[in-house]
Amino acid sequence: MDHAPRPLASTRSPSPPPEAPAAGAATPADPGRRDFLGAAFTIAGGAVVLLAGLDAAASGETHVPPPGGDAYNWEEHRWAYVIDTSKCIGCGSCVRGCKAENDVPDGFVRTWVERYIVGPGGSYVDSPKGGLDGFPPVPTAFTPTKSFFVPKMCNHCKETPCVQVCPVGASYRTKDGVVLVDGKSCIGCGYCVQACPYGSRFLNPATHTAEKCTWCYHRITKGLKPACVEVCPTGTRAFGDMMREDDPVRQTIDHERVSILQAHLLTEPQCFYLHLDMEVR
Amino acid sequence: MPEITGYAFPNDIHVHWSLMIVMYPYITGFVAGAFIVSALFHVFGREEFRPVARLAMATSLCFMAVATLPLNLHLGHPERSWLVMVTPNLSSAMAGFGMLYSTYLLILVLEVWFVWRQQIIESARRSRGWKRTFYAMLALGTYDTSPEAIAIDHRAATILAAIGLPGACMLHGYVGFIFGAIKANPWWSSPLMPVIFLLSAAVSGIALLTILYQVVAKLNRRVIEGRTVAALARWLWFFLILTVTLELLEIIMLAYEKSESWHIISQLLTTRLEFSFITIQMVVGSLIPFILLGVVVLMDRYLHDRVRNTLCIASSILLLLQVFSMRWNIVIGGQLLSKSFRGLRSPYSPEIFGREGILVAIALLIMPFVLLWLFNRVLPIFGDDKPHAAGGHEPPPVTAPVAGVHAG
Amino acid sequence: MEHARHVFRIALVLLVVITAIFLGRGFLVPRSYGTFGPYRADNVAEQMKIRPPAHAGAASCAPCHKAKSEAHDAGGHKAVSCEVCHAPLLRHVTNGTVSGKMPVDRSFTLCARCHRRIQGRPDKFPQVILEQHVTSKLEGAVCLDCHDPHSPKP
Ligand code: HEC
Ligand code: HEC
Ligand code: HEC
Ligand code: HEC
Repeated sequence: MDHAPRPLASTRSPSPPPEAPAAGAATPADPGRRDFLGAAFTIAGGAVVLLAGLDAAASGETHVPPPGGDAYNWEEHRWAYVIDTSKCIGCGSCVRGCKAENDVPDGFVRTWVERYIVGPGGSYVDSPKGGLDGFPPVPTAFTPTKSFFVPKMCNHCKETPCVQVCPVGASYRTKDGVVLVDGKSCIGCGYCVQACPYGSRFLNPATHTAEKCTWCYHRITKGLKPACVEVCPTGTRAFGDMMREDDPVRQTIDHERVSILQAHLLTEPQCFYLHLDMEVR
Repeated sequence: MPEITGYAFPNDIHVHWSLMIVMYPYITGFVAGAFIVSALFHVFGREEFRPVARLAMATSLCFMAVATLPLNLHLGHPERSWLVMVTPNLSSAMAGFGMLYSTYLLILVLEVWFVWRQQIIESARRSRGWKRTFYAMLALGTYDTSPEAIAIDHRAATILAAIGLPGACMLHGYVGFIFGAIKANPWWSSPLMPVIFLLSAAVSGIALLTILYQVVAKLNRRVIEGRTVAALARWLWFFLILTVTLELLEIIMLAYEKSESWHIISQLLTTRLEFSFITIQMVVGSLIPFILLGVVVLMDRYLHDRVRNTLCIASSILLLLQVFSMRWNIVIGGQLLSKSFRGLRSPYSPEIFGREGILVAIALLIMPFVLLWLFNRVLPIFGDDKPHAAGGHEPPPVTAPVAGVHAG
Repeated sequence: MEHARHVFRIALVLLVVITAIFLGRGFLVPRSYGTFGPYRADNVAEQMKIRPPAHAGAASCAPCHKAKSEAHDAGGHKAVSCEVCHAPLLRHVTNGTVSGKMPVDRSFTLCARCHRRIQGRPDKFPQVILEQHVTSKLEGAVCLDCHDPHSPKP
């Protein structure tokens, strides 16, 4: 598309262009049909955009300073998350930490812990209050042979069903790979809540807007870890940067056998699991 | 707090899409269904629909006028709803609504204008004072009722109906798309969904007109045309068969494929939706009208007018119920099952008062009829149902057109 | 065409309405919408400072609670951040000065959340069957009778 990008109205000095190798390393090459279709859609979309005078909606090349100012350049990061279910003790510290960090309203969770109790005779799953107060012992009608905890949260998918359906562009994925909700634009239709296969979104009863895990965007852009990772006592949760060669999370994803939730939906989650059981959906 | 059987994701226990989102496809269904009836006359030239064609168009417009209300009532921030038009996210099915809705509204208004133009002009000629100004403005200041101009009107109406028909189908098929394209929800996700929505829209629209036509004719002391009612019944039967077949096919496919979600959906159907799906939607709402309408269609020759009309009204009422329960079962049913595929929420019952309550829903259903009454006051619906009658049975204009307004 | 005058009029009305809508839309689009994609770019910066970070990490207590921190870092709970058992630093300290009381949970339920033997916990994690481990009455701060929460080895 040939129309020039709109300059951002702010008067920040433009930061130097991002390092080229970092930008290339992150996106796995995926040539072929999808790219073609993507391009076709972009062109078709662009035509609609031009017709409608929506020049603003087109995502052209950006020569605009990154939104973080000088302190944080979102082109230099691509965040990812690894959850090792074999380490989780189901203490719920992450759920409480998240609630304290982000003022999550009662009755809703941005992250939660599930317990699976499985035997040949059946399976039992629970998550009382999302695991906020830990878990009680439970009697099961069958003889369990294995049991484990699975922390869950927003998967910050690359192919996000939630961003796709947001009618007003209140939901979006940042360049550093975080899916966010703009609380000032959200109209509270709840479509994204329906569209998320993982149940990570909810409508905040106080603000009437959609809310979800942000990977603590206010923390990670200051060099901190998300609150859930910060408080996890067992190292079940790990957060890292895919643009850093030596990052342990990147090492794990690159070298270990990781799985993702509901892979058949092709949402390309960026939360990776170690030791995931087939019972987990 | 809702009760959960099995395991539901902790955020999944809320029915965010409440009664208003049930009302929304119900009401847009009437828009599309009524338009299909009017198009049967205007586009496909089915003469037997002449007596309902204008009524159908007016009904479509009046339901259209309230179609966005349930959505706005449901939004967490209705005051921001204009963003859907200003910054639509082109990849969102819901953003498409803004454009589809406005396009279709435009077509509908234009068509209504062309169809009623003659009456507008006659009213302008007949009345005086502010009323005259009003009608003159509606007529856009040209009072041309020559046969050539009338012929142009007819052509325009036909063309607009021809564009409007796909418009109406898209509008409602698209409502089904909103649900059918949610891959996260097995009860919604199906390419059949838009088709089912569209067909059941036709059912609800024809059923409504079957009732409305007879009621309005009674109120106006006009004869109820037997062949019109019979024709409506035939089409109603046809669309009913299509709808129910597809509704059942969708479920049978899930069951036969033993899809991973069948386990939870079968539970949903037999526990949570037992009454609203099996009893109401399938037996009371589909089987019984199927038999009643079958009688009308197959044995019309032997039926007395009164019997046929009553049978049609009875089955139409049941079908209105069927379509409502179908909307309910889809919208609410889809939220009773958790995306964990392991749990169901306790049945949802809407509040009575409040923004998304039952009273508001009833008001929403009454509103289009009030609008229809108003419409009829301004632009009489039964003013002219003879072709090219050009004010034949209207009293001649009382005053000569005033030169200032008359631009012809 | 003489008799199509009304068609031209309505077409004109249409044109005016549609133009008005598109012109009006231009004024309504939020300022930074579309800079990087179909969303309001300003929101990214807003999200960065949506609230101050509440948790400050395990090391943040050390300057003021040296002894506790040292004991903690040497003991079996070194992996358990202070803020897990207490509360986020922000509730206690803002801008380097104490601004609120730090909650202290002495109840056995605090320990039970992590150490009670229930289904789901990995076997190698130290856990006890409460009723067998504690012979006295299971209430209040029993665990603290024998364990120091900051260095729990009995
Ligand atoms: C700026 C220095 C400072 C920092 C940093 C600090 N504290 Fe404190 N803390 C204090 C002071 C001073 C007191 C005693 C005043 C009081 O009792 O309110 C105190 C008291 C406490 C108490 C006792 C409260 C009571 O009721 O007896 C606890 C528990 C505590 N801090 C925990 C923490 C933890 C956990 C952290 C780290 C997350 C922390 N503090 C960080 C200065 C600090
Ligand atoms: C396993 C949970 C746990 C952890 C981790 C923990 N504390 Fe505590 N903390 C407690 C409990 C329980 C008490 C109450 C002890 C008592 O009354 O004997 C306490 C008491 C305190 C007190 C108040 C002492 C007093 O006698 O009033 C301070 C200060 C304190 N903790 C600081 C810290 C600091 C700093 C850290 C991190 C280095 C930390 N705590 C980590 C559980 C914990
Ligand atoms: C947030 C979870 C958590 C809480 C709360 C907690 N612990 Fe621990 N505890 C741990 C972890 C993690 C370890 C280290 C386990 C390991 O080394 O594998 C541990 C280790 C221990 C050990 C073994 C120490 C050793 O050196 O082997 C004891 C004893 C213990 N905790 C007692 C307690 C007591 C008593 C309390 C209550 C005051 C408590 N814990 C609260 C997480 C917790
Ligand atoms: C009467 C003193 C006493 C009390 C009260 C007590 N413990 Fe212990 N606890 C011990 C001793 C002694 C050991 C070490 C011996 C052992 O390994 O059994 C121990 C070990 C543990 C361990 C480590 C077990 C392992 O396998 O390594 C945990 C966890 C623990 N206690 C938790 C608790 C909790 C939680 C409470 C409160 C409900 C509690 N204790 C109360 C004396 C006590």
